[in-house]
Amino acid sequence: MKNKKKKTDVQLPQILNLDDDFSLIKRFIDGDESTFNLLVLRHKEKVRNIIYLTLNNHELVDDIAQEVFLTVYKNLKRFRFESQFTTWLYRITINKCKDHLRKIKIRSIFTPIKDEEEDFGYSTSPDEKDIAEIVRKAIDQLPEKLKIPLLLKDIEGLSYQEIAESIQCEIGTVKSRIFRAREGLRNILKPYESELM
Amino acid sequence: MKIYAKKYELLSAYVDNELSDVEIKRLEDELRFSKDLQEKLSDLKRVKKLTSSSVKSVPENHYFDTRLSAVIRNNNPWFFQIRKYFPIAGIVALSIALMVVLKVNPGIVNHLLEKQKSNISGFYKQNLKPLLYAADLTNEDIFNFAFYHQLPLDNKKHQYLFLGTGQNGNQFFEIKNVNQFSNVNNLAKFVKGLNLNSIQKHQVDSILSNYADDLQSQVLVNEKNTVAINSNIWNYNKAIVADLVSFAARANREEMRNVLPAGFNSYYNNGSVARLVSEVKAANGNKYIFITPDTIFSDSFYFDKEKFKQNMKRLNEEMKKMNKNSENFSFNFHIDSNFVNNTKIPSYNGEFKIFVDSNSCLIHLPQVFVPQIQYPNLDSMAANLGKAADLFKSFSFNFPEMNRGKNFNYKYFYNDSADGYKFNFRAFGLDSTFNFKDHKLNSMTGKNFRRFNFNNPDSLESFYRSFFGDSTAFNQKEMEKELQQVQKQLEQFQKQMEKLQKQLPKNQKQGKDHKSIEI
Repeated sequence: MKNKKKKTDVQLPQILNLDDDFSLIKRFIDGDESTFNLLVLRHKEKVRNIIYLTLNNHELVDDIAQEVFLTVYKNLKRFRFESQFTTWLYRITINKCKDHLRKIKIRSIFTPIKDEEEDFGYSTSPDEKDIAEIVRKAIDQLPEKLKIPLLLKDIEGLSYQEIAESIQCEIGTVKSRIFRAREGLRNILKPYESELM
Repeated sequence: MKIYAKKYELLSAYVDNELSDVEIKRLEDELRFSKDLQEKLSDLKRVKKLTSSSVKSVPENHYFDTRLSAVIRNNNPWFFQIRKYFPIAGIVALSIALMVVLKVNPGIVNHLLEKQKSNISGFYKQNLKPLLYAADLTNEDIFNFAFYHQLPLDNKKHQYLFLGTGQNGNQFFEIKNVNQFSNVNNLAKFVKGLNLNSIQKHQVDSILSNYADDLQSQVLVNEKNTVAINSNIWNYNKAIVADLVSFAARANREEMRNVLPAGFNSYYNNGSVARLVSEVKAANGNKYIFITPDTIFSDSFYFDKEKFKQNMKRLNEEMKKMNKNSENFSFNFHIDSNFVNNTKIPSYNGEFKIFVDSNSCLIHLPQVFVPQIQYPNLDSMAANLGKAADLFKSFSFNFPEMNRGKNFNYKYFYNDSADGYKFNFRAFGLDSTFNFKDHKLNSMTGKNFRRFNFNNPDSLESFYRSFFGDSTAFNQKEMEKELQQVQKQLEQFQKQMEKLQKQLPKNQKQGKDHKSIEI
């Protein structure tokens, strides 16, 4: 028993929390640029995952992530500490992803564009057997305004409030979009219902 | 349809655990009775599970940080490239700026140093006022200053300023805490020894008083514990000696003829003393040596005598009114006992050498400007004083009664007053012996100081070394033997004196006009 007590008394190394983001940013503003590397180290994987899930293209992940962090580097001295750093970082990430998707749209201006909101009836190749892959492809077919809140909730685990701040909309809108995304996903996956069940 | 859509949204939020407690309770109540809602909930949970399980993390890129740093650097190349040169650039810029400044104004460093010195000297020169006025200088003090080179630094006369000339001819002065060499009633002895009448005595007082006014401006002090000593004070010392000896010779030529050196008669006859005195007074030296708690330096300082005189009356009146306060006004030069045992403290400007011991502060002044004034070689008188002493045998001598044949305690301060060493010293009236008087009269040559090694850092210790060799840990038995011998000699000497005194009336009757002088 005594040994157990002793074990619980041992202080574990303190894990960096959100407040530490602020202290790192303050040090960066004061001229200690090395703290930026720490911020990158802490958040790069999350940023890269969001990009990957949003664009579903791992080749673009590092380029977009670099753009994200370059934007953060340039604007970090103007950070106002009114919201969490992650909220600001995810907003930049999502905006960068949107920018990229917009560029793709402009490039394919002469190619026919499907109705983003209502065209849920797109069916994938029946050869695809891997369930995870099927689901990812189904998610990718969702319009980005539905897809992003869904991914931030179900995969990144953000709250509705955080998602609302990241994509700059109301909580009610987030709630509605996530529901619509799930409905859309259900419709897309209907042909694979037997395999998924 | 819209109502159902809203219900389904709530179910979706319920799955995400984003509803309030009230909403949850209401929804769960409805769920119990609605199969449709239960199926929808089941669908939503299944979709959420599928979405969450489809997560495939992007493979880690180990070069991401390096690439990002390169991107940031390339994005801001100018800043990053020159940033590493910032320290060197700063040093180079500072060096160039210094070079330019020194080229344009080469004397700026000296100017700054001089300014700093000037600031320091200005600070310590503020409110300087005559110490000797404050110490209530008497004719006795001036007389002692002339012959024994000592001036009181405080009203209670516990601290003295001693002036002297070292073996190498350089001036020095010493501030002593203990009045172990105090001279009492020397002026009275001088008057009595010369058998001066009341008019002549008045003239002596007048001579001394005449110098009091001038001596006031020779030693100045202020509340910052600064002592400023005019380098002309050495000449004043010689002028007063010359004036007094010259007067003494004129007043009683018969008596002084035997003690004055050959050629002194011509000296005081040709008016050189008067010339010396007037030259010293006219010199009006404004070069002072400033002794401060921080440093010692020499600098020019003009002391406005006239303005001071004007203020004197007013001050005198005020001091009379504030009698108690004037008594409280005193100056005490602090000797830091931490410096004891330091035989030499390096001077601040290479000009002064300072020696501090438990009871004195000795300062050598090798380069201090002292006005050069031609005056008779009074020092030659010292050589003849030995012969003169023999002639004094025909006079009577007075041993101080209080010490005669009695023991008195002499407290010897061994390095520090805390380790005092007491021993009994057989009194034999040093003050009245010829030899001791001889030393004192010779003191204006500085010989007296040398004899007692007063320029040695611990003067008191050296004094006893002259008796007991190099060690102060002397053998008490040997000392007792020596003292007994001295006592025997003194007793013989006393008997001789008594015989001589008895013979004197006979001699007087026989017409031999020898006068008795008590010194």
